[in-house]
Parts: sequence; C-alpha cells; structure tokens
Amino acid sequence: MKKKLVSLMLVAAMAATMAAGCGSNNGNKNDAADNSGSTTEESTDDSQEESKDDSQAASGDGAVYYLNFKPEQADQWKALAETYTEQTGVPVTVETAASGTYESTLKSEMAKEEAPTLFQVNGPVGLASWADYCYDLKESALYKNLKSDDFALIADSGEVQGIAYVIETYGLIYNKKLLADYCALDGAKIKDASEINSFAKLKEVADDMQAKKDDLGINGAFTSAGMDSSSDWRFKTHLANLPIYYEYQADGIETTDAIKGTYLDNYKNMWDLYITDSTVEPTMLSSMTGEDAAAEFAMGEAVFYQNGTWAYNDIKDNEVADEDLGMLPIYIGVEGEENQGLCTGSENYWCVNKNASQEDIDATLAFVEWVITSDEGRTSFRDEMGFVTPFSTFTDEYQPANPLVAASQEDIDAGHATVAWCFTTMPSENWKNGVGSALLEYAQGTGEWDAVKTAFVDGWAAEVQAVSE
Amino acid sequence: MGVRKAKHGWIYTIFFSLLSVAWVFPIVLVLINSFKKKVYISRKPFAIPTDKMFVKWDNYVNGMEKIHFFDAFKNSLFITVFSVAVIILCTSMCAWYISRVKSKFSSGMYYLCLFSMIVPFQMVMFTLSKLANMLHLSSPVGIILVYLGFGAGLAVFMFCGFVRSIPLEIEEAAMIDGCTPVQTFFQIVFPILKPTCITVAILQAMWIWNDYLLPYLALDIKRWKTIPIAIQYLKGGYGSVDMGAMMAMLVLAIIPIIVFYMACQKHIIEGVVAGAVKG
Amino acid sequence: MQKSLKKYFPVFALPTLVAFTIGFIVPFLMGIYLSFCKFTTVTDAKFVGISNYFKIFTDKTFGHALWYTAAFTIVSVLLINVLAFAIAMLLTKGIKGTNIFRTVFFMPNLIGGIVLGYIWQLLLNGILAHFQKTLTYNSAYGFWGLVILMCWQQIGYMMIIYISGIQNIPGELIEAAKIDGATNAQILKNVTIPMVMPSITICTFLTLTNGFKLFDQNLALTNGEPSNMSELLALNIFNTFYGRSGFEGVGQAKAVIFFILVALIAVGQNYLTRRKEVQQ
Repeated sequence: MKKKLVSLMLVAAMAATMAAGCGSNNGNKNDAADNSGSTTEESTDDSQEESKDDSQAASGDGAVYYLNFKPEQADQWKALAETYTEQTGVPVTVETAASGTYESTLKSEMAKEEAPTLFQVNGPVGLASWADYCYDLKESALYKNLKSDDFALIADSGEVQGIAYVIETYGLIYNKKLLADYCALDGAKIKDASEINSFAKLKEVADDMQAKKDDLGINGAFTSAGMDSSSDWRFKTHLANLPIYYEYQADGIETTDAIKGTYLDNYKNMWDLYITDSTVEPTMLSSMTGEDAAAEFAMGEAVFYQNGTWAYNDIKDNEVADEDLGMLPIYIGVEGEENQGLCTGSENYWCVNKNASQEDIDATLAFVEWVITSDEGRTSFRDEMGFVTPFSTFTDEYQPANPLVAASQEDIDAGHATVAWCFTTMPSENWKNGVGSALLEYAQGTGEWDAVKTAFVDGWAAEVQAVSE
Repeated sequence: MGVRKAKHGWIYTIFFSLLSVAWVFPIVLVLINSFKKKVYISRKPFAIPTDKMFVKWDNYVNGMEKIHFFDAFKNSLFITVFSVAVIILCTSMCAWYISRVKSKFSSGMYYLCLFSMIVPFQMVMFTLSKLANMLHLSSPVGIILVYLGFGAGLAVFMFCGFVRSIPLEIEEAAMIDGCTPVQTFFQIVFPILKPTCITVAILQAMWIWNDYLLPYLALDIKRWKTIPIAIQYLKGGYGSVDMGAMMAMLVLAIIPIIVFYMACQKHIIEGVVAGAVKG
Repeated sequence: MQKSLKKYFPVFALPTLVAFTIGFIVPFLMGIYLSFCKFTTVTDAKFVGISNYFKIFTDKTFGHALWYTAAFTIVSVLLINVLAFAIAMLLTKGIKGTNIFRTVFFMPNLIGGIVLGYIWQLLLNGILAHFQKTLTYNSAYGFWGLVILMCWQQIGYMMIIYISGIQNIPGELIEAAKIDGATNAQILKNVTIPMVMPSITICTFLTLTNGFKLFDQNLALTNGEPSNMSELLALNIFNTFYGRSGFEGVGQAKAVIFFILVALIAVGQNYLTRRKEVQQ
C-alpha cells in the first residue's frame, strides 16, 4: 500500500512539474496582471517583478517599460525608476540592451507581448525602421520644453516622432599639463595649446611629441586606436563623421544615397596620425579596447585621446587632474578649420510606443515628464548620468560638473562652428562594420587603403540599396 | 592491467608533474589577475599583483554587484538540478516503455532520439526560442521542459541500451506477483538502472550547467540569467569591458565546478567511460 | 506484460514525448519549412522557395566559415586523439601519481565554453603581446588559439576513454605478442590499436562533432574577429540570424545545410570506423 502511494506521488510530482512548465508564465507574476492570449506587439500590461498589488489600484493601470540604450547608465536608470515607483506607485521596468545589440534586442522585445513602451532610435536612419511605432509627441511636456526643433525628429506630416534626450560632444581630449610640459621643451613647435588650430599644426606637434616621448615620460602622443568591436565605433563612426560632414557642407546636403568620399584623403591622414604617433604598435590594435585607451590617458601615458564628454567617468580619479582636462577639435586638414569646433549632436532620441495601450502611453509620458522636470530626475541626469540635455527645464544648476562639458561650452562661447553629427545618416551597422574592418586591416598592414575607400563609397551605396529592399 | 612498473618510471612522473602544472596554469592565471586593479590586467597579465596593483576583494565585490552573481548562480543551480532530475525520471521511464512494448511508436521514438543526437542546436535555435516564448516557457521552470525535450535524445538512447540488458524474467516475476507496471519500474528496474542514471545525470548536468545559447535564446533574460549568460554580459553588456570584474567572475564561475568535481570525481569519470562505451 | 504496460503509456512515455515534440520535433520541422521562407518573426513567414539557399552562395562569409570549420575540425580531431592516446598509453603503465594526473587532465572538460574562451583569451593575448600581436590580428592566430583551447578541454575526456579501452585489452594478448618477438611498435600497431578501435570510434565521433558544432568557445575567444574571418559555422549562422535584419530565412537555410553536413559526417565516420572494430 505504502509503496503504491510512493509511486503515485512520484508520478504526481512529475505531472505537476509538467503542468507548471506548460502553464502560464511562472508564479512571480501577479495573477491580476496575467493577460496571456494577446498577440504580438500589443503590450496590454507591463507589470513586472518589482510591482506589487497596489500598483494596479493606484494612479491608473499603466506601466512603463523602458529599453535603455546606454549600458554605462544602466544602474542609474534602474535607481531613478525605483524612485519614481516609490513616489507614484507606477511600475517602471528598465532593461538595458548589451552594447551593440540595441537594434536586435528592440526587435525581439517588440515582438513579445510585453513590448517596450519607451525606446530610442539613433536618428533618421533608425527612425526609418521604427516610424510605425512612434507615438506623436507634439502635445507632450517633452516637446514643449525642447529648446529647438533641431533636437526632434519630425515627420513630413508634422508628427513629432522622436526627441533627443541627451546631447553629447566629442573631440580630442588632451592633457593640459603634458601639453604645457611639451611647450616648455627646447625646440617645441608651439608655445601654447591655443596655437593648435589646424591639422598641419596638430601633426607637427604630435610627431614631435612622439619623437621626444621619453623626455616627456609618455608612451605616445595619441592613445591606442583600439579596434576591438566593443569600441571601434570611435573611428568607424565618430572619426568618419568628419569627412562626411565636410562633404555634406561642400555639397549643401544633409544626407545622401551615394557618398562620394571627397575628403577620404583627410580621413587617411588623420588615421595615419592616430596609428603612427601612438602608444602601441599597429599590429596590436585588433584587441585593444576603449578601456585600454582610457587607461593610457588616465595614467598620463598619452597626451591626446579621442572621445567625448561621457568619457569623463572613466578618466577621473586616476593620474590626471580635472583642471588638466581639455578638448580640442578634430582637425582633418580642411580649409577654414581654424574656426572649426567640437562635434556636438545626439544619437539618442526617445520614442514612445504607439502600439502600447493608452494607459501605458500616458504612464510613460508622465514618467518622462517627471524625469525632466523633477528635482530627482534632473539631479540624476546631472550627477549620476552626466547628461547634457536639450530641455529648457535644465537650468544652469543642473548642468553636470564635468570639465569636458565645460570645455565644450567654452568652445561654443569662442564662436567656433560646431561640427554636426552626420553619422546618424550612415546607411547601416553593416556599413560601419565594413569600414571598420578595412581600417583595421590597413592599420595592421594586412590591407590597403583602397579597401577602406571601397568600403566607404561603394559600401554606402550597396547598403542603402540593401536596407531599402 | 599494468601491475608492472615502467622502466625509468620517475622520468614519466616528473614529466607529467610538469605537464600537470602547465595544465592548471591558465586557471591560476585568472586567479592571480582577479586580484589586480583592472587597468593593469591587459597590460601586465603575468605579473603578480603587488602594491598599487593589488586590490584585494574589490573586483569580486564589484563584479558580483554588477551581474548579480548570486542570482545567476541560483538560476543555474535550479535549472540544472531540476532539469537533470526531470530528465532522469522521464527518459528512464520512456526508455523502459519503448524497450518493452514493441510497436511502431517504440521504434519510431527510438530512432527519432538517435536522430536528435546528431542535429546541431543551430538548426532549431530560432524556432525553439520563438516556440518557448509563445508557450510561456521562458522561465526557469518552463525551460526545464525545453531541456527535457532537447536532452531526451541522448538520455533515452543511453537508458535503452541498459534496459535491454535487464533480464525480462525479473520483471515478469514481479508482474505475476501482482505489481503494477509503475511498481515494477520503481522497485525493480530503476534500482538496476542506477549506474546509468548517474552517468546520464552527470553528462546532462555538465551540458546544462555550462550551456550558453539555449538559455540565452529561450529564457527571458531580462529576469533570469544563468552563469554563462552573466559572464558574457560582462563582456559586451556594459559598453566597456571591466577586466577586473571579468576575472573575478570567471573565478567564481569555476569554483562550483571544481568543488563538484572534487566531490564526485570517481562517479564522473566512471560515468564518462560508461557513456562512451554504450554510445 | 506488454499489454498491461501499454495501458500505462501516458505515465511512462507521454511526458517525454510531449517535451520531445515541443523541444525538438516541432522546431525542427518548422525550421525546415522556414528555410524556404522570408521572415522576421515566426508568424509572418512568406514562402519564397529556394531563394534563401541561393543567397547562401553569394555570402562569402559562409564559404569561408565552412572551410575554416573543416580545417579546424580535422586538425583538432587529429591532435586531440593522438595526444590523448599517447597520454593514455603512458598513464596505463602504472607510474606514480597516475590518479592525480588523470584528475588534473580531465578537469578542464567540466568548465563551460564561455568561461574557457575568456580564460584563454587572457593567456594568449598576454603571450602575444610580447610579440606585438593579438589573437585577432588575423584569422590564423584565432585558428590556433581555438585549436589549443579545444585540446586543453578535450584531451582529458578522450584520455579517460582511451585509458578504459587500453585497460580492457587482455594482458595475455600482449604477452603472447612479446613472446613471439614483436617490437613495441608492432604490438602497438597490430594488437593495441585494433583492440582499442571501439574507443577510437567513440573519440573520433565525439571530437568530430564537437569540433564541427563549436560555438561558445568561438564566441568568447575571438567573436569571429577580425572581420568575421575567425568565425566557425555555428557562429556564422548565429550572426546571420541575429546580427543582421532581413536574413533570418538565409540563416535558417544555412542551419539546414549545417545539419546535413553534421549528419553526413557522423554517419560516415561511424560507418568507417565500425567496420574496423575487432569483436572481442
């Protein structure tokens, strides 16, 4: 009798496991929230693990699910979301896509029942894929507080489909102290940092620094131009922006289906400079990362480091004092570049999911409004995330205390012409990867510069075609 | 077996001792680097951390916070233990059934299991992950079903091999004595199959614990990550690669394996041999 | 007994069958169907005939990955089996400390692919840095890095199997051969290897399929860099699916071809070596 009981129990246990496995989405979820049966794209409810029952009863039934792009601020967003939930009871889930996987993560998340209610696109190109999912933000607080339409993605119909939420600047970060040390050397090519206002001058100085690196106690003029896939965007995207920008300027256009590559020689000159006057041999570049470069700069081993205002977090608290941080424009040898400034723009535009339920949309709009108007939101942006935003609600006291941001402000005040971010018009990730691979092969000596040209020019047209198919 | 001692045996002993040290070196290297400040790891991987380079437990604390290591550990443990238990239970019963009941279903099932052992995961990865999501199997509990499905092939095959060697007379005797098939199975057959259970358990555990792709695609990784997923996330998930945290987490990922190995070494090795002989 | 057992089908076989259907059969069949479709999610598939298969031919990365994988598999199968066999031979001579050595050599097999890849990435990059190179400098470096990694991981496992095979050779056979005046080399060729053939079959099968299907270690060690030149087939398929949009159908078609290749190899290899086995 007993034995039969045991075997029956075993069978029952097994059956229970099967049933549990086949059943609904695990026991964590609130039963009230369970609403399976709805098909893809409809996110009828988003309540996730942190929400408890009161969230359903309180202010509306909406919930927010934000798919964050920036892994560097993943924890900060989660903390901010928790604060909001504590205050309002509205559940906010923040998930961050792994670096380089945003597009594919967004795609797979959008296909799920609980799709993101707040997501981002990188600009006009990204918007093209997601335009059907963008709620019109014209009436939102976000748009009303926007300083200028330059920071919004507006469709021909007048719908405001995306709004930039962070503006960033990049250029050549440099170590003022090391540069001053250089100027003090015999036979230095310049007497002061302000004399560097053209590619020719920059090259002269860098070459000289490289020759005198032992005297200066550095390993190279420029930090390593690491081409590991986690950080080669600095060169296949950010650096490539300059020849594209100047070509657009020369032709008076804002985007193109067929880039000509007019300024590719300048691109080559700059790239040559990066890999010759460097801290490492070019053959090492394939595995070197942005962290390596940041480390070299932060330890005072190099003078110039191409990156942006966001890099401050990685450099601070090492060997370079805050007051020694400055930013130079990236001169590539174009006429009139004495007036060229830093590269400023945005690659991060918020979009609200049009296909979410109205409650979720309202909850999301309320959330972002809170983020840009509340004290907690703005302080978080300033202190935790270090963001500069295009919203008028961010008065002076809410600007980050980041010397690089200050440097970019100085640059604007000096009247230099900012270089716009044109890389949002690059046809696809694949194009960038093609250019990146060619750049690496050229640097290592396993390929020719012509391959870069082909990837740049022919690749552009090919990708435009492939994407539109 | 060689009771005879080899000539110059001590040469071999020394040779193998050196080889063993070299064999373990990669793991030791990671251990050393886990105590180094991250800026130094890529530049000086072979140096022993001293003074400025030595950061004690910082990397561990940092890493564990970043990827919520204990959560990943719990998930890995839960999924592995329960998947293995379910697989053993279900596939042994299924194997007994199809070995004793001659029917089209039995031979069909057997050959399908054999077939499934050859199919590479890439063939089904996309469809399986979509199916799992549609059927709400994207949780640690649901994924047990997925593992049963995908792991059934090897397990059924191995159990069948052993069941065939159990004399029918014992089972028939039990049935005559009035046992139901369920009783017969659990009281007579299952105990005899114990060694095979251990073999299958170990092989499946080794696969499931270290598996990256299946959980990555089928599990809702926003909520649950397993150890391999968490480690991979460290590489690309944060925009930058924190080498210090990476080293520390690699060590933490290896420790449970080493503990398990030291405890069950004999069984593991026996299991591997038995698995190979029958396979 | 059969009759009474048959009634218990739902208890004994059904759970496994259900799981097997969900976990394998349905995805497999769907996969075959989808390889003839253009799709982004499973529900929006459009039948397009064999155009996906044609697209594979124009995809240079696939051809390269195929060749790379084949080379890798052959090299690793040879190295692993030869070395594992050699070590197994030595460790069955009763040397002091044999048990410890066996323990040490087998251990890497328990460590997961991703972890393994990163361990070796650290080590190899550290060594290569002295030569101003890195693992991803060109695909050859990645190739040998993967080979070394596989050897480290698999030699212990295969060694165990070989040891058991060698231990099962009846001592009398060897004694008899020695009495007949055979040299060590002749004993090896004519007695040991034929008797150990079942183990060789198994080990070859395992290393062959493991090598061909390798994914985790590839992802961690090089991630296919530089420019997808160190991608093995599995990673290539994965990237086709998830790295680009619009190519899911092609990815599935590649997976079908991948499966056919693995099946052919497995069946072929099995057939060839089973013929050589000596019945004991």
